[in-house]
Amino acid sequence: MKSTILYEVSKFLIPIIQLFGIYIIFHGHLSPGGGFAGGTIIGAGLILYRIVFGEEKAQEKLKYTKLLNLMCGSLITYGILKGYSFIVGGSNVHLFDIPLGKPGDILSGGLILPLNICVGIVVSVVIYFLFNLFYEGEI
Amino acid sequence: MKIFSIFMLLFLIGSSIAVSLMKNLFGAIIVFMVYSLIMAILWQQLNAPDLAITEAAVGAGITTLLFVLTLKKIKGVKR
Repeated sequence: MKSTILYEVSKFLIPIIQLFGIYIIFHGHLSPGGGFAGGTIIGAGLILYRIVFGEEKAQEKLKYTKLLNLMCGSLITYGILKGYSFIVGGSNVHLFDIPLGKPGDILSGGLILPLNICVGIVVSVVIYFLFNLFYEGEI
Repeated sequence: MKIFSIFMLLFLIGSSIAVSLMKNLFGAIIVFMVYSLIMAILWQQLNAPDLAITEAAVGAGITTLLFVLTLKKIKGVKR
């Protein structure tokens, strides 16, 4: 899509959209929001990049194999962390207690912050792929 | 704030009836987006800001985009 106004405005707006999504993910255990809502906003930013800047530039920046590796890696990390929490927390095995931190800080709440980051990465990549499937029939 | 909520509820009912009665498909998609946006405002009035963020991002953003793309694929837009 060729339009100078759209090009300049989105060049200014896309970093702000993605920064807002990262803020929502990182404050998921302190304020409203969380992994799913923040991931959807980041996915919307990626979709805007794909529409405005065209196919070649998006394929160059957001490679298919790289995004798929990122998504599968964060899914495996989610499984490992949550499985560790299930096994250790359920049967009273005190192998390694995750430090809880001071309430109100970013680094507090145990495993909620890493799990939120994993969910955000998976949701944003999946929404970008879903848009590409609808737009041109292949990823 | 109660009068504002009642006004928004009436608007919600009106837009949801208008979606089903509308003949033009593209207009129906836009009215559906308006429905989703009013729903987000109502979630915020009901003290559920978490749902409001998700509704505004998914309902008003991603779903409308996918509907418009599908309409372009099946050539339903009349010019």
